[in-house]
Parts: sequence; C-alpha cells; structure tokens
Amino acid sequence: MTTDPTYRRLLETSWLRPLTTAEETELRSWLAEHPEAVVDWEAEAGINHALGALRDVPVPSNFTARVLAAVQREQQTERRRTAAWPQVWHGLSRWLPRTAVAGIILGVGAIAYIHTSQNTRREQMVRDVETVCDVRSMPSPRILQDFDTIQELTPAPRPDVLLLSLLE
Amino acid sequence: MMSAEQDPDAALMLRVKQGDMAAFEGLVERYKQPVLNLVYRMLRDATEAEDIAQAVFIQVHKSAQRYQAASKFSTWLFTIARNLCLNEIRRRSRHPTDSMDAGHPENEDQPWQQFEDKVTAGPPETLLHTELEDKIEELLSELPENQRTAIVLCRQNELSYEDIAKVLGCSVSATKSLIHRGREFLKAKLKPYLRTGHWTERK
Repeated sequence: MTTDPTYRRLLETSWLRPLTTAEETELRSWLAEHPEAVVDWEAEAGINHALGALRDVPVPSNFTARVLAAVQREQQTERRRTAAWPQVWHGLSRWLPRTAVAGIILGVGAIAYIHTSQNTRREQMVRDVETVCDVRSMPSPRILQDFDTIQELTPAPRPDVLLLSLLE
Repeated sequence: MMSAEQDPDAALMLRVKQGDMAAFEGLVERYKQPVLNLVYRMLRDATEAEDIAQAVFIQVHKSAQRYQAASKFSTWLFTIARNLCLNEIRRRSRHPTDSMDAGHPENEDQPWQQFEDKVTAGPPETLLHTELEDKIEELLSELPENQRTAIVLCRQNELSYEDIAKVLGCSVSATKSLIHRGREFLKAKLKPYLRTGHWTERK
C-alpha cells in the first residue's frame, strides 16, 4: 500500500464516509498518475462497499416502549428507596439511643470483666513465679544424702529450755 | 469542549437531565439502530444484543445527572455501549456454557442472521448478496474486539476518528492502525469475492 499523503488522506476519508465528487475527482487524477495503486484502491473500495452494504440489525417495534417502561420501573424503585429512608431514620432515631446505652453498658461490663480477669491472671502468674523462686533458693538435695542414717541414730537429749531461758 | 449548541443531542441530554422524558425518547429513537448494530456485532447474539442495548439506554438515563457536554453525546453513548458489551464478553468467558450462536426464540432452527431482505433484487443476486453479507459478518466476528468495534463505528457517518478513538480509549493514530489492520484482514479473506466485482458494481 502506498504511503503517499494524498492517497492516505483520501483512503482514510473513504473509511469514514463516501467521498465527495471533488474528492473522487482528486482520487481519479491521483490514480491516473499512480496506476500501481489502482489494485489496492479497488480492494479498499470493495471493502467500503461491503461494509456499507451490511444490513441494520432489526430493531423490535416496541424497543423504545420497553426502554421507557424499564426506566420508569427504575425511577419507581428509586423513589421507593428514597421514600423508605425517612421511615428507616425514624425507626433508627427511636431505637438508636436505647441501643447505644445498652451497648455502652455491655461494653463497660465487658471491659471490666476483661480487666479483672487479666489482673487475676497476673496475680496467679506472680504467685507461680514466687514459688519457682522459692524452689531455686532451697539447699541442694545432696545435704539430705545421710538423712536416713541420722534419722536412725539415738535421738539427741532434749534442749534444757529452763537453762536457756536463764542464760537469756 | 463541545457545547450543547454544537451538538443537538447534548442539548437533548441536558433536557433529560431535567427529567424530560420526551427528550429521552427522542434520543432512544435516534440511536437505537446504531447502538443495536454495534452491540449485535460485538456479541453476535440478537437476544442479548437487545437486552444490552436496552441496558445502554437505561444506563444513559441513570447517568444523566453526571453527564457533562464535554464531548459528543454519541461518543459518550457508544462508550457506554462498548463497556457494557465488554462486561458481557467477560461474563461469557467466566460462564463459557452460554451459547455464542443463540437460535431464533420462536424457531430454534432459524439463525438470527437471516434478517428480512429489504433489498429489491432478483433471486440469484439476492442469494449472492446474502452469502457475501454472511461472509463479512462472519469475518467481522473473527476480528479482535477493538478492530471490530473501530470498523463498525466507522460505519456511523457522524463519528470522526477522534470520536472513535475516545470510544476505544486510545489515540487517533492507534485507532487508524486498528482499522487498517482489520481491513487488511477483511481484504485478504474477501479477495475471491472482491475479484468478482460484485461489491464494487452494486451502488
């Protein structure tokens, strides 16, 4: 296909609409000077004609009426939706404060419960940690290795409580 | 910027914006044929094309409040039509069981392409014309969507390359390139028919 600007302009115009008489004349004279482009132009003209001859898809006679009816239905739905809003708002305005108070009470209760249970858990954890610490500070179990022998020895004399009190 | 004085359809649309149903009816009457042509050639299903074309005008009415006469009404309308068609094509690709060649609702054996012949031609010529029409419809459906849309929109005499480019969402040079490539495909496939001269002789 030629890239000549005159041909391209006329070709692109022919894609959109039939050429005017002046454009046809211009094209004919251009083609007379460039016979090598005649075949291409004939093919283009053929396609133009083929596309131009494509028939319109039949439109149902009630198409417009159907569109208008559908639009009216849409409008009614929209109106109903708009009209429903004040009722919804009225209902909300009655129940919203009560629901809010109930929500606040429930919320405060829930927070208090969570806080208390957390504190209880923390205290329990502290106690557990203390117990573990106590176990760690106990003497080594090795000191009890002769416990049984000592236990079998004759019991030592009882302490002289009276003497001790006098010495104090 | 396109003003309502320059585009009579934009003036009608401004009336639609104010709730004028007669203006809307005028727009539907004026554009139902080109919209249906475009939608049908994008979807190749007459029943769906009718539904989508109807949805296009409903969408136009819904969007009337947002309409700004910044571009031609027809460009805006065809953009809506194309977007709805693309949505439909996407929906089909997600549900591929839907038929691409739906039969006539009243007679399943009769394809939708057999439209009433309005051309007053003799029987043999009519037969040839129908065969060629069927061929070109078939070839159009084989084109990629953007090439097909560009070529179909070219048939709307009122649209410029700038308008078509806006509908397709690309540059004017890209639009011309799409049309060129589409036409090259058609030329190659229609070569035997074009050689007979039937298309060029019929005016």
